[in-house]
Amino acid sequence: MEISVIASSSVESEIGSWDLKTGNKLLQFKPCASPAHGLTAVGEKFLAASQLRKESASSGSIFYWSWNKPQVEVKSFPVESIKALTANNEGTYLVGGGTSGDIYLWEVATGKLLKKWHGHYRSVTCLVFSGDDSLLVSGSQDGTVRVWSLIRLFDDFQRQHGNTLYEHNFNEHTMSITDIVIDYGGSNALIISSSEDRTCKVWSLSKEKLLKNIIFPSAINSLALDPCGSVFYAGARDSKIYIGAINATSEYGTQVLGSVSEQSKAVTCLAYCADGNLLISGSESGMVCVWDPKSRRPVRTFNLGKNPVNNIQVVRKTIVANSNKAQSSWKRRGSLIPPPLEKYERSGEDTMDGIVTIEPLPYSDVPVYNSFLSADLIDEQVKELQQQGSAATEIEMERLKLEYKRSLQMNDQWQKNYENLLQVVMEEEQIGGSN
Amino acid sequence: MASFERFEDMYDSRLKPKILRNLLSEYVPNEKQPLTNFLVLSKVVSTISTHKLLSESPPASVDQNHHAKSNSAVDDWVNRLLALVSSDMPDKCWVGICLMGVTCQECSLDRFISSYSVWFNSLLSHLKNPASSRIVQVASCTSISDLLTRLSRFSNTKKDAVSHAAKVILPIIKLLEEDSSEALWEGIVHLLSTVVILFPAAFHSNYDKVEAAIASKILSAKTSSNMLKKFAHLLALLPKVKGTEESWSLMMQKLLISINIHLNNFFQGLEEETKGTKAIQRLTPPGKDSPLPLGGQNGGLDDAAWNSEQLIVSRVSTLMLCSSTMLTSSYKSKINIPVGSILSLVERVLAVNGSLPRAMSPFMTGIQQELVCAELPTLHSSALELLRTTIKSIRSQLLPYAASVVRLVSSYFKKCSLPELRIKLYSITTTLLKSMGIGMAMQLAQEVVTNASADLDPRSVEGFDAVSSKNMSLTNGAVLQACSKKRKHSTNSGVEAENSAFEVGVPHNHSSSPITLKIASLEALETLLTIGGALGSDSWRERVDNLLMTTATSACEGRWANTETYHCLPNKSTTDLDEFQLAALRAFLASLVSPSRVRPAFLAEGLELFRTGKLQAGMKVAGFCAQALMSLEVVIHPRALPLDGLPSLGNLFPESNSLASQKHNTPNPNKLNGIAHDGDDLCNKWLANADVPSNNAIQRTLETTLPFQETKRLKVGNDLATVTSLGVQDPTDMVASENVQQADVPVQVPEGSLGQISDKDATAPQDGYVEVVSGTQEGEDYVVKDSLMEEASIGKRESLDESDDDSIPSLKDDDFLSDSDAES
Repeated sequence: MEISVIASSSVESEIGSWDLKTGNKLLQFKPCASPAHGLTAVGEKFLAASQLRKESASSGSIFYWSWNKPQVEVKSFPVESIKALTANNEGTYLVGGGTSGDIYLWEVATGKLLKKWHGHYRSVTCLVFSGDDSLLVSGSQDGTVRVWSLIRLFDDFQRQHGNTLYEHNFNEHTMSITDIVIDYGGSNALIISSSEDRTCKVWSLSKEKLLKNIIFPSAINSLALDPCGSVFYAGARDSKIYIGAINATSEYGTQVLGSVSEQSKAVTCLAYCADGNLLISGSESGMVCVWDPKSRRPVRTFNLGKNPVNNIQVVRKTIVANSNKAQSSWKRRGSLIPPPLEKYERSGEDTMDGIVTIEPLPYSDVPVYNSFLSADLIDEQVKELQQQGSAATEIEMERLKLEYKRSLQMNDQWQKNYENLLQVVMEEEQIGGSN
Repeated sequence: MASFERFEDMYDSRLKPKILRNLLSEYVPNEKQPLTNFLVLSKVVSTISTHKLLSESPPASVDQNHHAKSNSAVDDWVNRLLALVSSDMPDKCWVGICLMGVTCQECSLDRFISSYSVWFNSLLSHLKNPASSRIVQVASCTSISDLLTRLSRFSNTKKDAVSHAAKVILPIIKLLEEDSSEALWEGIVHLLSTVVILFPAAFHSNYDKVEAAIASKILSAKTSSNMLKKFAHLLALLPKVKGTEESWSLMMQKLLISINIHLNNFFQGLEEETKGTKAIQRLTPPGKDSPLPLGGQNGGLDDAAWNSEQLIVSRVSTLMLCSSTMLTSSYKSKINIPVGSILSLVERVLAVNGSLPRAMSPFMTGIQQELVCAELPTLHSSALELLRTTIKSIRSQLLPYAASVVRLVSSYFKKCSLPELRIKLYSITTTLLKSMGIGMAMQLAQEVVTNASADLDPRSVEGFDAVSSKNMSLTNGAVLQACSKKRKHSTNSGVEAENSAFEVGVPHNHSSSPITLKIASLEALETLLTIGGALGSDSWRERVDNLLMTTATSACEGRWANTETYHCLPNKSTTDLDEFQLAALRAFLASLVSPSRVRPAFLAEGLELFRTGKLQAGMKVAGFCAQALMSLEVVIHPRALPLDGLPSLGNLFPESNSLASQKHNTPNPNKLNGIAHDGDDLCNKWLANADVPSNNAIQRTLETTLPFQETKRLKVGNDLATVTSLGVQDPTDMVASENVQQADVPVQVPEGSLGQISDKDATAPQDGYVEVVSGTQEGEDYVVKDSLMEEASIGKRESLDESDDDSIPSLKDDDFLSDSDAES
């Protein structure tokens, strides 16, 4: 397992990547200028980032990089500028939120735009998959947080019956949503959203309502969740990282428990790495800082030039430490980057050709072990031989005995017939003779 | 001389050659001595593997003499085996071949490398010789397979190994085509699988031949279903030979086409003909050549077969099994699964239920319909299995099709009444829930609950539940363990137990499926609760909790009373009942632990049940009950332990607090209290933590269980301090971990105590504050607490200490308090 940190900036520059354990600088990918939440690793396969473009540009753009090449491998141009981009855990689907509030869902393997729907009234700012990839939580500039069930989105039947598309709609935030995290609670998960209105709000997925409102002294740019619950980290515009307690109760709800450190410029992004319990922050100063939240001291810093960092991702890659052959096949596969994303939904029969591509598991290359069978076979055959000595043979024997008896009887019968016949013939002879 | 030699103990390595020689002379036949008793062979094999008799000690060992001895013993062993292998007598030959296989597995590395080629050739000669007896050929297949398996573990002999493996293919294919003995086929299939898995390169030139031979065996369907399964499995492995995505797709395409063609014939008159042609069109897109039919050009659709419904169904089932296996086995290249075609195939099969569309009725005779209907369940079962494996293999990528699969499953659930098929349906729902998560739980919950309730309905199996309901009424009346114990030991109940055992046994004997069906439905419910338990709070949750409690109680009551009776009967259905009990307990635990807005209604019953279960003899059940009790411990003693990872904020950055309060001008000075707290006194903290929520939870319960007016009245009726303090504390919903929320005490009880506690609560924080501050000064390691909650709890703890001698009319509360006092 190789754990690395990747960071990108809103100004055109490279995406930096560093090994989290050793601190070594890894390959850099360029050029990239992505909006906040616009950088994502697609499973373990490759790296994707939406690109900020000039206002004049008519379409958006999304770039792909494979892990072992610094240059852009695939460029896609969706119909509009994509703000938030994220992939599900397996890396099979890519979801992008556009400036118009539309949300796009692409199939990675084919590049097909499977679904496009109007998610929000204004630009989508962040997109998060639930832990099991079945729900999508989106946040928007209009201050709404919406929860979507992907299965239901694909259910045309229900769609036609005029139900609302979203599962939940949380609209208590008054300003643009800046970040969303969802905890490990499964169906009872908590969703935390941060906003420019200087609050973080905790929502319950199962109760479908606001549980907690936490007011901060400054607008919060980003969130990271301590996986063990109760605590989250909020990176604020006033250069502090605040620690919020989800469980806290108070009538007012200002639960700013402290800040990890002073930095000169706004904290723009946070990530939590459960492996080793590290908190990683990115700042407008271009610094990426790895913290040990227990001691609240920086463990390590990386520098992404002078450009403001606005995206950080922790990427885990399974390293197959095997023979040369396995590695070469990895490389071969690594270079297989899927086709670019399509602009429009296909219509009619063509929408689904019904083919789903399954990537091999990374460990399917390990040698197979077959088990030995001789010893079992001996037992089995011995048993068989024994049985033949008993049941089967007995039955056969009985059958033969019966047959033998029957033949004996038949034999007797024939003999009698013969004797009778002989007698008849003899009598005839005698009669004939006497005549 | 040697006989006077003494050994240290049973681990003495000098023992090995001795034992080996002994085996050789006593039990292994030679040229003159015939084999008398087959049973000794098993003994020989087990002795060899227990003592590792064939692993020669390394030459560098201390005792050169000993090394030579052990070496020569193994030499003798191998020579004897070779002699036996080439013997004319089939029995001796068989012994030699079998033991050779064991030798391949057990012998030392050097010996194997130096002589595998010789062994291989001597084994192969039997396969090539058509005159060899069947048992010898079977043994040769297995022994060669073991030899190749061992060979595959050396990387440096790869090339040689492939060329050896390649020599095997043609002779065994010839055998497969000529011979008709099932045992031999089994051996051949095993050997071929070994080669496919380990040395796919050995196939190259003969791939088509192998495929044709196996396909024709499947299509002829002239063998047991078990053997057909093995053939299907081998056929599914074949795409590994080429290892490309094309070969996989081609095989899948061939299978699906073949299945659809068969169905076209089978469903004649039962469905619209366009369905079949559409399916075939979909599989062979225009512009592309359709592949050769399965098994080559003349591979099998002989006309004679068309008349036998049974034959068609057995073919189709085998081919479907083959597709399922292909879907689930792992491949090195990516694969393109034709999900659309598979799903439409499944849909097509499930749509036919044997009824005749009105327009078609004149074209089908009653006999024909009868024959078709007799075979339909098998067909449906295979189709459902195919659906399950498809879901399993594509997991989250089912997304675009998920809605239609859900509709298919729900509609089939409504139609399906055969237990066997319903079990399959439940396992499909379980797979769907596991692979798609919460979103799927939202879609499927209602369906699962409705069907499981019907299948778990206690009235559906009379004998079983008549008894248990009798027991239930006993226990429900007074859930006293002592009572049930008495009942067990009294002579009177002995009779009753026997009776019930009899009655319990009967229904499952003549309909063994319902109990497996119940197990499947319990598993589905358990998965639903695990994945989406919190979603059903408004709708199905209460019903499910109730159902699972009843099921678990009845499942256990009937059994625990008469475990001994069961053990007397060597009856197979006992294990079924064990399984059922376990499934019921598991589902019950899930219903207790799964998140919910209210306190689990049957917690007391659950605890009692698991406690009784823990004392049972059956280790599986007892083990599970112990585990269940541990999980429930968190529910009864909610933990909000200090977070280990949480930085001690007050320690390094005290200014942040003031900063916060400054900026927002928060009028609550108490806020500071919660921030730092003495971390050493863990016990106090635990108490504090466990204690607080009860207060909040009480209020929650008040709010949730009573109409608003009522709540208000209650509050007003209480001490005024209560109202204010609670109101201040919990204006919105309390956000705490679910565990904490569960820690409420019965609603009606604590009104008095509540008033008292919170009365003091209002004054207490001042003290708490002082204590905390002193703690901050002394302690080294500060642990940050969750602000107000802790602060309140500190106050409360003290108030509790003070109000110690107040007798509180709640049993539980009382226990809890005295416990806490003892600990603090």
